[in-house]
Amino acid sequence: MTSPLLDIALQIAMTLVMAPLMSSIIRNWKAKLQNRRGSPPWQVYLDIAKFLRKDMVISEHASWVFASAPYVVFLTSLVAALMVPMIGVEAPLGMFGGALAFIGLLALGRFFLALGGLDPGSAFGGMGSSREMTLSSVAEPALMLSIFTLAIAAGSTSLSVMVHHAASQDWPLLNSVNLLAFAALFIVLLAETGRVPIDNPATHLELTMIHEAMIIEYSGRYLALLELGASIKQFALMSLVINLFFPHGLAVGEGSSVPLAVGALLVKLLFLAGVIVLVETVNAKLRLFRVPNLLAGAFVLAALALLSTFIFQ
Amino acid sequence: MTPMPVDPDFSSRIIMLLTTFVLVVQLMMVTQRTLVGNIHLFAVQSLLLCGVAGTIAWVHQATHVYFVLALMLVGKVIALPLFLIKLVRRIKINEELKPMFNSPVGMLLCGGFALLGHVVARPFAGRSPLINSTFGIAIALVLMGLFLMINRRTAINQVLALLCAENGLFLAAISLTTFGMPLVVELGIFFDLFVAVMVLGILVFRIRETFASIDVERLNQLKG
Repeated sequence: MTSPLLDIALQIAMTLVMAPLMSSIIRNWKAKLQNRRGSPPWQVYLDIAKFLRKDMVISEHASWVFASAPYVVFLTSLVAALMVPMIGVEAPLGMFGGALAFIGLLALGRFFLALGGLDPGSAFGGMGSSREMTLSSVAEPALMLSIFTLAIAAGSTSLSVMVHHAASQDWPLLNSVNLLAFAALFIVLLAETGRVPIDNPATHLELTMIHEAMIIEYSGRYLALLELGASIKQFALMSLVINLFFPHGLAVGEGSSVPLAVGALLVKLLFLAGVIVLVETVNAKLRLFRVPNLLAGAFVLAALALLSTFIFQ
Repeated sequence: MTPMPVDPDFSSRIIMLLTTFVLVVQLMMVTQRTLVGNIHLFAVQSLLLCGVAGTIAWVHQATHVYFVLALMLVGKVIALPLFLIKLVRRIKINEELKPMFNSPVGMLLCGGFALLGHVVARPFAGRSPLINSTFGIAIALVLMGLFLMINRRTAINQVLALLCAENGLFLAAISLTTFGMPLVVELGIFFDLFVAVMVLGILVFRIRETFASIDVERLNQLKG
């Protein structure tokens, strides 16, 4: 790796290009698996370009909160993505914060998104915000516990140190602590990115939608920013899960090649996307009142993982 | 049989992984609402325990553990679940009884049981983390079996809970002594269990015929 600025630029570029593509690929594979043709993977770029060109319709009741939410969501998820070690073990913004900053930034984005849903005063937006907050109050502790489990094993809350610790083991997943933490983190990943057992990302027509309900009042440039922000958040969480549990091919140390590491990351991301597509296809969406049960399950798994670290070490 | 060089570190890792899976399956049973799903999970759990027993038998070259393993495979993985599923089909249970605790509370309680199991197991285990983990999980399984018995008040669920508690005992015997109980004891327990399940199965059928339900709460009506 050369200069830190180059690192930052590289990771920003990769995130901005790859994040929308990853959500689009998931959508495309899901369609294929359901015997539909599906839109091509590059469609998402055209969509975003179109959103950017369109005028915005803004409710006359909306205040500055409504206008600021898309920027906050986009920037927080981008900065959070820069704190995740993706290509090399050192994250570009690793010196500014670790796991706590990462979770905090995502929470800040979610807070503003919920406010943005409430602000125009439409019934759907408020409903979406209240649901998002209800579910995240269960999902976030599970996320924190499972990341802390790994932090205890690594002896630091810095994501770079955690990934480095994972890379020093040969197969991190063959360890019961990591396995429990991975299971919990995977369920949380589905919840945080609004995937099927919890939320349906493909519909604007359901009374049960969560994320789509919050952004229902947004259009034009703001919608583009929100969509980008959501896919960047998904990209960051997916690469975090991958690099914490499958650190193979990561650029560790001096003489490792960056293109190889990028390729390895992409292969692993595509694999995880495939798993997500399978989960989404074989499961039906849970009833909203059953979702906390699932997330409580994730919480208990993470708590057991944390418990096991104290027993095994 | 030629003794194979088995890395003890590797085998203990496998055992830990399998017992963790056993615990996770038990947690899934607490949240699973349908009877047939529960029976399937029980079969999976028994299969995982067979894996633990097989690993131990392999490492210690203990022939009689293989025998127990075969018994377990035929009895608990195949015969008993098939029998229970047939019973469920025959008495056509469609009702989904509400558990006493809803599933998040149940899960949290079971997490507490796991903690309790590990705390209780610590003095027995000495300095070995492997025994501490497996014995702790064994105690947790027994506790969760008892909890399942209280939580779901249908007769078949209680039979299943009994079987789970017995799975926990099996794991405890294997993990503490590393060779399991003597074969005679194991055989005795096994046939006891088998007869108990058969008798309970017939009893469930009779309860169903008399009360048109398998909710054991209704048996209280028999009191004068």
